[in-house]
Amino acid sequence: MAIVTLVAALAIPGVSSGATSGSTVAQEYDLKAAFLFNFARFVEWPADAFAAAATPITIGVLGDDPFGATLDSLVGGELVRNRPLLVRRYGSVEDVDACHILFISSSEAGRLDHIARVLGRRSILTVGDTKDFAADAGIIGFELAQRRLRLRINLAAATDARLTISSKLLRQAQIVRSSRGRK
Amino acid sequence: MTTPRTSIRGKLVTAMMLTSTTVLVLTGAALVLYDLASFRQSLARSLATRAEILAANSTAALAFDNRDDATQVLAALRSDPSTVMAVLYDHEGRPFAAYPADVSLASVPAAPSGKGHWFEPSSVVVSRPVVEEGQTLGTLYLKSDLRALAGRVRIFTLVVVVAVLGSIAVAFALASWLQRGIALPVRTLADTARQVSDSKDFAIRANVVSDDELGLLTHSFNEMLSEIQQRDAALRASETRLRQLNGDLERRVEARTAQLETSNRELEAFSYSVSHDLRAPLRHIDGFADLLRRQAHSGLDDKAKRYIETISASAKSMGMLIDDLLSFSRMGRSELQNAPVDLDELVAEVRAAVSSDVADREIVWTVAPLPRVVGDPAMLRLALVNLLSNAVKYTRGRTPARITVGATEAGHETVLFVQDNGAGFDMAYQGKLFGVFQRLHGAEEFEGTGIGLANVRRIIERHRGRVWAKGELGAGATFFVALPREDSEANQDQEAA
Repeated sequence: MAIVTLVAALAIPGVSSGATSGSTVAQEYDLKAAFLFNFARFVEWPADAFAAAATPITIGVLGDDPFGATLDSLVGGELVRNRPLLVRRYGSVEDVDACHILFISSSEAGRLDHIARVLGRRSILTVGDTKDFAADAGIIGFELAQRRLRLRINLAAATDARLTISSKLLRQAQIVRSSRGRK
Repeated sequence: MTTPRTSIRGKLVTAMMLTSTTVLVLTGAALVLYDLASFRQSLARSLATRAEILAANSTAALAFDNRDDATQVLAALRSDPSTVMAVLYDHEGRPFAAYPADVSLASVPAAPSGKGHWFEPSSVVVSRPVVEEGQTLGTLYLKSDLRALAGRVRIFTLVVVVAVLGSIAVAFALASWLQRGIALPVRTLADTARQVSDSKDFAIRANVVSDDELGLLTHSFNEMLSEIQQRDAALRASETRLRQLNGDLERRVEARTAQLETSNRELEAFSYSVSHDLRAPLRHIDGFADLLRRQAHSGLDDKAKRYIETISASAKSMGMLIDDLLSFSRMGRSELQNAPVDLDELVAEVRAAVSSDVADREIVWTVAPLPRVVGDPAMLRLALVNLLSNAVKYTRGRTPARITVGATEAGHETVLFVQDNGAGFDMAYQGKLFGVFQRLHGAEEFEGTGIGLANVRRIIERHRGRVWAKGELGAGATFFVALPREDSEANQDQEAA
């Protein structure tokens, strides 16, 4: 409960004060952390994505972690569809194992093609905030537009990964097509 | 029999109409009230359902901080004009989005807590938590005005009123039709009763049209009529019989009266002619006795002379008797010649006449002032002559003789009395006193024909008066004559002799 309160508390100043200014980067990432957590509620994974009924939903961070302790404190003790949430941090894409939501940090911008290739069609919801992330390499991309944090979703990539994104979430986002030649 | 102001028909219809209308109105009112109550609840339920849907649709907008989407979700409420306000609050209770879009977030009401609905004076409010996967993301506030309720009230009331009016019309038709079963027999009965009372014809019968209490009543009424009819017939029959008997009786009385009158007339005619015819031989007897006395006077001895005197006296006496009888007979035949009569004058005159023959006797007369009466002067004079001469006659031997004449006014009569201190009479023979030829004293003691008092009675009775007497043997007598008063004598003697 306390965590969701934090999400809401962050949402307003994060938007109104302009997310692009350096002083509010931390606040911007607080909001992104809350979104990551909320994705767990609006996305369904195939049954084989979980080893057991109580297998946690793992939120992974690949590359430099921009969230600090925020993400951990957000998901601590929460249950989504009766599953606990777990935060893992990975140095390289090869380390990524049983992961469900993977935030690809901007530090990995140069290796996006490689990461995409490694992950292949695994049921991992890839999230990133680099430019055209959803169209180029991942499934959901964060974008700042009109001083608001907006979402772009590559629905085809999500379908490839056998992920079902709630129509409610889709309503919040702009659907983009893949610009990747492969596939 | 007058037409009743209210008919039983009207009363029955009114009773039925009042009953059915009351039931209808109460039922209608109950229906409207129940419908309004349930409609209010269903209004709240449908608003709650809408709130649930909106809340479900708002989760992602809240989760991903998308006010535009939240506003859009709420904007769907445009399709329902009864929704006046919707506010989406975030989990902290701060307004996040509102409907209509132009509502300032600063002016919306504070966030309600949890789930529920309540009614405000002209609106219904629902609040629902916004939950996604067990996580409460915020609260939705939805407010709808009650115009649907008002519209429902209008339409439903209209429907009920139309239904009630229609039902009343049907009820009226039914009542009018049904009342005939009761009112018709009653009216038939009433009509029959009126007919009977108007025409007095007890042979009329009411038709028994129903098998209920009214039928019983009609039946009883008919039986009563039969009873009356019988009694009426019996009454008429006995009346007729009575009239016949009466007629018979009258006819018999008439016949007898005629017979009596005839024989009376014959008797009077007979006595008149006898009296009249007796006078001639009597005059001869008297005349020849007189001749005999005068011409053969010297040749007769004393004895023969005395015989002749007796014959002459008897003939004179008989002549007087016949005169009296004739006058008595006339008294019954001649008509009354009524005129005012001064009794003072009349009594003085008669007194002078009757006392001239007895100048040698000492008679003390006491005559009180007397009133005037109306009557036949000649007849009244005759009556007074009889009364006063009687008084003088029967006081013979009294010294002095006292004769008192007076009068009193008693009621509507003038009563004249003549009192004397003479021979008097025995009251036992009072009834015979006024009869013809009835004499209480011997002719050798007091001369007379025995017709005087009978004449008095006849005269006074023809004046519609009365006569009576009081007396004591040897102690005098009083004779009373009562005549109707002048003013009360409206109808005088109409019966001519």
